[in-house]
Amino acid sequence: MRRSYSILAASFVAGLLIAAGPLFSRGPKSEFDVRGFSRLPVLEGGRIKPLDSFARNSLLVIRGQQSLPVDKHRITASQWLLDSLFRPEAADTYKAFVIDDPDVLGLLGLERGKERRFAYWQVEPKREEIRSQAERARMVESGRQSRFQTSVANLDSGLGLYERIRNSVMISGSDDPAGEFETFAKLLPSALKAMHEPAKAAAADKKALKTLTEMLDRYRFLASVAVFKPLAPRAGEPADQWTSIGEGAMSPTGGAEAHPGIHAYTRMASAYKKSDPAAFNDALHAFEVWLSREKPEALSSARSEEVFNRAQPFVSGMTLYVMALLAVCLWWATRRAEAQSVSMGLLGAAVLVHTLGLCARVILQGRPPVTNLYSSAVFVGWVAALLGLLAERFHSKGFAAAGGALVGFCSLLVAHHLSSSGDTMEMMRAVLDSNFWLATHVVTITIGYGATFLAGALAIAWIVRLHFVKDQDAETSKALVGLTYGVIAFGLFLSFVGTVLGGIWADQSWGRFWGWDPKENGALLIVLWNAAILHARWIGVIRERGIMVMAVLGNVVTSLSWFGVNMLGVGLHSYGFMDKAFWWLVAFAAVHVLIVALALLPPRFWTTGKT
Amino acid sequence: MTRPNTPWNRFIAALSSLKFTLFCLALLMALTVICTLAQVPLGTHVAVDRTIRTFLIWWQPEGSSLKIPVFPGGGLVGLMLFSNLALAQFLRLEWSRRKLGLWIAHLGLALLFLGEFSTAFFQVESHMPIEIGQTRDYTEDYRQMELAVVDTTDAQHDRVTAVPERVIKDSSEISHPSLPFKLRIKHYYENSSLNMRQPSDPPSEATGGVGAEMIVRPEPLATGEDQQNAVAVLVEAVAEGGRSLGSLWVSNALGAPQGFIHEGRTFSLSLRPRRYYLPFSLTLKEFHHDKYAGTDIPRNFSSLVRLNDAGRGESRDALISMNNPLRYGGKAFYQASFGKNDTLSVFQVIQNPGWLIPYLSCILVSLGMMIHFGLKLAAAMGGSK
Repeated sequence: MRRSYSILAASFVAGLLIAAGPLFSRGPKSEFDVRGFSRLPVLEGGRIKPLDSFARNSLLVIRGQQSLPVDKHRITASQWLLDSLFRPEAADTYKAFVIDDPDVLGLLGLERGKERRFAYWQVEPKREEIRSQAERARMVESGRQSRFQTSVANLDSGLGLYERIRNSVMISGSDDPAGEFETFAKLLPSALKAMHEPAKAAAADKKALKTLTEMLDRYRFLASVAVFKPLAPRAGEPADQWTSIGEGAMSPTGGAEAHPGIHAYTRMASAYKKSDPAAFNDALHAFEVWLSREKPEALSSARSEEVFNRAQPFVSGMTLYVMALLAVCLWWATRRAEAQSVSMGLLGAAVLVHTLGLCARVILQGRPPVTNLYSSAVFVGWVAALLGLLAERFHSKGFAAAGGALVGFCSLLVAHHLSSSGDTMEMMRAVLDSNFWLATHVVTITIGYGATFLAGALAIAWIVRLHFVKDQDAETSKALVGLTYGVIAFGLFLSFVGTVLGGIWADQSWGRFWGWDPKENGALLIVLWNAAILHARWIGVIRERGIMVMAVLGNVVTSLSWFGVNMLGVGLHSYGFMDKAFWWLVAFAAVHVLIVALALLPPRFWTTGKT
Repeated sequence: MTRPNTPWNRFIAALSSLKFTLFCLALLMALTVICTLAQVPLGTHVAVDRTIRTFLIWWQPEGSSLKIPVFPGGGLVGLMLFSNLALAQFLRLEWSRRKLGLWIAHLGLALLFLGEFSTAFFQVESHMPIEIGQTRDYTEDYRQMELAVVDTTDAQHDRVTAVPERVIKDSSEISHPSLPFKLRIKHYYENSSLNMRQPSDPPSEATGGVGAEMIVRPEPLATGEDQQNAVAVLVEAVAEGGRSLGSLWVSNALGAPQGFIHEGRTFSLSLRPRRYYLPFSLTLKEFHHDKYAGTDIPRNFSSLVRLNDAGRGESRDALISMNNPLRYGGKAFYQASFGKNDTLSVFQVIQNPGWLIPYLSCILVSLGMMIHFGLKLAAAMGGSK
């Protein structure tokens, strides 16, 4: 007994260590303080975030990944951002753009070979053509665009984002941004003199005015295209009025008392260009000191978020879920108690890492755990895994653990793919901006999804057992059915309460309790489906096998109402729109129908029946 | 149960059986799927009207006037489920502490059905667009029109006679004691196109107003949430004795007032969204449209209004914002939209006497399920030890 506990504890700790690994990685080798740079706070997308998050999300949007291979080694998103900002001539050669569509490749005159990633310079000659094609494509309704139109519009927005990044701190290709800004600041007084009192102005002042006008044009351009705003408001300015480099330079105090951030960023730009790490790090640290004095909360929240980004708890969680699942399989195959302890330890570690990740998001965002499709996927997996772990205590045969780990892994995988659309901590649109309803309606209904999926996973385990396990006892089967039944009842309760709470929220914000909107209908279907299972069981229309078959189909119903209805693109809930996932959804449903068919085979096909 | 085996009792037994419950649940699921899919081509409002807020779903083959019922609608399925629920409850479910949870949960469920029926029959939905500084004492329903005949002779006071679209649709001649003439409906198009008349077009049937210069053609009904029908009516005013005072095309797509003079009084005719007058008025004082810093993502919309109710002696300010409606006089005002460079605010106005029912129902069902499943769980845990 004690031995099994120590194995459990050891595997639990080992799991946590695996998850903590990324936190201790030293990151890329560089003389430049890349990490320090990536932790600088900026305002983008309506919230303060570290440059690291901005870099990762931008690269995800452009490339679908958070890192980039350059000359046989990978560079991080932050390094890519540094190069794009300060050394665009190098960044232009990185193969950052994904072009899959053969027609778009044809348009660009590019070979349709193995390579599907291209560098900016390869695309640049046809930039105007892409722009005009994309404009045309955007005139077409999003549901009716052809594949070519969708991908050319995507490519254009990726290119546009990259071009804006290149011109966020300095005009792309500028040689010495720091020197340029100093000249600007120096010229400003005499130019002002020339402007206000043209009669008295000396020839030198007039010349200064001319140079200055040109420079102002450049800063105006910077201000109009910059993607992020790195200059924190100074004392006396409104608290949320962050500005971009261009706006800062053009502000009335831009010359004489320029924002320290302008000096810092332009110096970093010049130093990075000239490969002078010492000067780069000096400018960076001076700015960090200023930020820690003036905006300590922004700096510290940006730093926490950078740590969260680096830790990637949901990626580690996925690994741990797979390991736990494998350990359960090992346990079933060998029937050894050690394997059981290892699997429980690993599952416990996975759930803990998952929980910590969720908590970190809640704290960073200051919101309940579910705010968009991405976070709902993260949360569904957590609910199922936690329920599985708890249910395993009632019935320690590994089915609940395996089911929980399976749903946990799958939903994190889904979340991982959903995250490629950009910032997963985006701001909430006005109607959703209600922590109370997000915490009640959204969380309950998502727990309902999680429970229904767990019931489905348990049912799949039961069906697999029916076909692959030779000597099985009726007791295990009965216990498994009882467990599934309990989870379905739990799911019915939460999905009903969640659905009605949603109605009440709708009554509070739109003035109708129930509008038969697709998302509402989807939620109703889950409730009806679970209710039908319970009622059918009560009158004996279905027995063990029937419950399991219906529970498996419950997965399909839930996934359709979770994702499927968003694809219809109608109604008030269509803010989570996605179209790529359609075929995955079809495949998911098809697999489940197959499993149901397996279960419905007459008993002579079961392994059980032969013994 | 010891009841005589009469057909009536057999019918009641069937109606109250759990098998019938399952059948109804299956029907409701199918109906929900149909309603959801129908929204893609039809838009939510029309789809819900044709599938849920009806007793039968009708199908009309292309180019035929024949209507065939193809599936029970929401009203019928709801009625079936409700009677099944009620009968099963009283005939089959025993009164015992063990079943207390089920009793409460099903009672709550029955209330939910009643609430949805009450919404279907009694809810009135309208809008109130209001600009900063404006005062309004009526709301408008864009989905129903009315023919307004306004006697504008008195500069101080307008006398309005409004004819609902329903009446226009069903009758060919309308007379009202407040009107010194009859209105003859010559054409009624639920949706239409209005264009300037070209020389090649046939002459207009209208004898006056802007319609005389236009050509009006019927169109198929608009679908989709944002599209509105351009209702067009050709109306002829006929004085006593049968003398025609003129024919006018009126439409909600035409803004300019049109009219005629009769017996020294000036009448203006227009087709406008149906108005519901309120016993109080709202004045928009401020409208705010907040965005997240540095973006165009809306953060909040809020309208500060002055509520004036002379009848009840109330005069106070009220703030209407997202998720925070104003409930007054049996109506709820919701921040729905905005426009005109943030100087116009639009409220959705809902009158639903049963709006509290779902709240009660939610509490009952949650409580009932908690009791029932809690008892079961306790039993299961006690048994496993």
